[in-house]
Amino acid sequence: MTKRAVTVNVNGTEHPVQVDAPDRLIDVLRDELGLKSVKEGCSTGDCGICAVLVDGRLVNSCLMLAAQCDGRRVTTLEGLAEDPSMKRFQGTFIANNAAQCGFCTPAMLMASWDLARHNAEPSDEQVKVAISGILCRCTGYYQIIDSVRQGCRKERP
Amino acid sequence: MSEQVSQLLDSLREKAERGELLYIGENVVRVDSLEKVLGNPVYTADLIPKGTVYAKLFHSSIPHGTVRRIELEAAKAYPGVLGVLTSKDIPGANASSAVLPDRQLFSDPIVRSTADILGAVVAETFPAAADAATKVRVEYERLPAIFDPVEALRSDAVKIHPNGNIARQMKIRKGNVDEGFAKSDLILEKTYRTQFQDATPLEPEVGLAIPEDGGVRVIGSMQSPHHTQAAVAKVLGVPQEKVRVIQAVTGGAFGPKSDETPFDVCSTAALAAVKYRRPVFCGLDREDSMVMHTKRHPFVISHKTGVTTDGMLVADESRIIGDTGAYASLGVFVIVRATFHTVGAYEVPSVKADSYLVYTDNTYTGSLRGFGGPQAIFAIESQMEELARKLGIDPLEFRLRNMLVPGKKNATSAVMDASCGLPQCVEKVVASSGYREKAARYRNQTGSIRRGLGIALLMHGNSLGPEGNDYGAVHINVLSDGSISVGSGLTEYGTGAISGMMQVASSVLGVPLSRFRLERPDTSKHRESGPTVASRVVVIGGNAAKQAAEKLRSRVIPLAAELLKVEQKDVAIADGAAFDRRHPSATIQWDAIVAEAYRRGVSLKEDGFFMAPAAPWDQEVGQGTPYVQYTWGALIAEVEVDVELGYYKVVGVHAAYDVGKAVNPQGVLGQIYGGTVQGLGYAMMEELLHKDGSVVNPNLGDYYIPTSMDIPPEFKAFIVEVPGPLGPFGAKIIAEPPIVLPAPAVRNAVLNATGVSVDDLPVTSEKVLMGMNHRPVASTA
Repeated sequence: MTKRAVTVNVNGTEHPVQVDAPDRLIDVLRDELGLKSVKEGCSTGDCGICAVLVDGRLVNSCLMLAAQCDGRRVTTLEGLAEDPSMKRFQGTFIANNAAQCGFCTPAMLMASWDLARHNAEPSDEQVKVAISGILCRCTGYYQIIDSVRQGCRKERP
Repeated sequence: MSEQVSQLLDSLREKAERGELLYIGENVVRVDSLEKVLGNPVYTADLIPKGTVYAKLFHSSIPHGTVRRIELEAAKAYPGVLGVLTSKDIPGANASSAVLPDRQLFSDPIVRSTADILGAVVAETFPAAADAATKVRVEYERLPAIFDPVEALRSDAVKIHPNGNIARQMKIRKGNVDEGFAKSDLILEKTYRTQFQDATPLEPEVGLAIPEDGGVRVIGSMQSPHHTQAAVAKVLGVPQEKVRVIQAVTGGAFGPKSDETPFDVCSTAALAAVKYRRPVFCGLDREDSMVMHTKRHPFVISHKTGVTTDGMLVADESRIIGDTGAYASLGVFVIVRATFHTVGAYEVPSVKADSYLVYTDNTYTGSLRGFGGPQAIFAIESQMEELARKLGIDPLEFRLRNMLVPGKKNATSAVMDASCGLPQCVEKVVASSGYREKAARYRNQTGSIRRGLGIALLMHGNSLGPEGNDYGAVHINVLSDGSISVGSGLTEYGTGAISGMMQVASSVLGVPLSRFRLERPDTSKHRESGPTVASRVVVIGGNAAKQAAEKLRSRVIPLAAELLKVEQKDVAIADGAAFDRRHPSATIQWDAIVAEAYRRGVSLKEDGFFMAPAAPWDQEVGQGTPYVQYTWGALIAEVEVDVELGYYKVVGVHAAYDVGKAVNPQGVLGQIYGGTVQGLGYAMMEELLHKDGSVVNPNLGDYYIPTSMDIPPEFKAFIVEVPGPLGPFGAKIIAEPPIVLPAPAVRNAVLNATGVSVDDLPVTSEKVLMGMNHRPVASTA
């Protein structure tokens, strides 16, 4: 199989990577770049815990081919480590016991951060929709929803 | 310091001055929260070193037969493949079983289910291993297969194991049911069925083995590292000390990770690591996990119940059949718990139960949150609802007349003591749901959208009880920097229980949890502490932690007294500082006391060990006190049903649990919310389907678990605290119980809204609609 050279901007840095046709974005993020916050739970796009932002849109990185990411901008939780909005969500998730086993937590945080960019005061219903693509088996979602609403609220100037 | 924090400190000081509990009952931040919100690389698959190769398990494609030949050449020739492991490559025992020695790691020559593992392909990459595994060709000689546990019980049924199809039998004989039925005014006989449920931890079962020091180091996702160590050593044929098992941060477990699948992946990784002298990762993908790991047992439970016209239970006879699939696994204990809970939270003067754990050729079932409780309580709470309706008594009123309260006896004739908080739980949910007013209002609905309320009550035995000695060991090491390192063979896998256990030590020492750190459970460092199951960490581990902390405190207090120049009895410690109870302004910091201890050579390292008191019971009659204490609960669900479509949704849940003492109330609520939603999945949508022994829907696209869109808009959870005799500060268990009640409560709510009895889980809209079509559409209470 011939490898193809692509350049992906991941968390603000241009990364030239050699990819095979079947390589997925999640493989590049986890295995090539060591970004382990991106979790794999089903490999079929059903659980959503591999969610990252690609050009500002939340996508399942297990369903996107690495070759499709040439020239695109990818953001993972690691890339938002110093972001004030993300830090707020991390704080509200801790304060509300929203991370139990923690395996869905990075994806939930990415979805929260994405929601906060366009909705500073989401309703329960809007939060549910925003995180609906990500499964959590531990929390029953209630403490996550509280955390997301609190984190968004602080988003207002 | 914010005003809030300084207020908290003041209140801690005051509590310490009065000699009251510190930290217990407070929403303390878990020790493992930060690493999780940062997305740190702490799970097994995050720790794969460079140079690791991958093992992919392959399994039987038939439910029962003899393997005649396995053709491996094409798989071995696949690019990147190092080799293929089968039973011939096992130097030790070909075994992977938790209790009964009925299961092999790689089945040879008999396969008894499609979950039977035949071997593993090892390759440089996971895709290569997975592709090569599809090239393995197996020739079988088929044997007749059985998928129905009732059929498997027949004397002429094909024997799945040499000793027959009954893996375990149990009984209860309390009073005399024949006399009881003779005295009864009404007798109801009904049969209830439950389905396969998949636990679906978001992290599937994974193990990483690294050859080292003439042995192997295994890192994995599991509940019980010491049991895994024993299992791996057995397969390798080496002493246990050659196998070091470390539990990585574990992404959910819910039971199957205390069962045999962690043995399978860790043993396979270790076998390959020893053979190829490379680090080996053996991880199940979602499909393999859902096929190969243990599920919740489907049960067939028949009740014959006698009552008087004034609504008093007289006698209950039940036949309980659990389908354990091809292997017993922890099912031998699941059936015991189901049997002891057969009449649930009610006093029935005469009880007769006969239960059977039965082998079939389905994929095997075992440990899953609730552990036999969900099936037993679904059956009895459904039966209670049917009885109330037949008697024309309000279902709540009927339950109030018969439920366990202090002084009454449960199915094993254990007398309930003052620690029975069931009445308080019922009171909470009745008030919160507005039951009395709504039940009257919903009695005569005629429209196409109708509402209904359903109640279910819970008794849940605490401690391992009949499953073996219930013990835990915890060690606490105060380091020279003042931080406190805690280690145990007990594990954290998401519930927060280990933080709760540490919170107990934090309370005794007067040092906040933020100064504590958790050591990764490691068989080379920590004492075997039994399995981490049955929600027992806070109760059993908490007592061990309390003991270790008390021993440390007894060494710290004299030092502090000396440094403060006061008598020992006047020393209090709170928020990491010791002070004179009478003159709280004079303080000495925890770190200074620790430094002084280190200067003097006073050891600040301690072990705690706690063994629950014996829980004796007579196997012949199933009578005695198999549990040291009980968790109590009550749940009312409200549903809204579109009677033309059968479609329904749960619009409200009101749940109360008596947890004795909530060590971390927010953590308790997290268990109530999470367990309830998992229980709603069991009630409404989850069903792992088998066709001719093969799992039809082993993926999250076809097996539905609740998403955020599926949760009830209203959820009121209540914590009731009636201290129990076993746990630290009166604590009772809470992780498992909340999964039990949603199924019967939803089923009963649907019945009350529509008049349709769905007696087999899950309660799908299809079943409701079919029920509506078979009877006149008329609402009853």
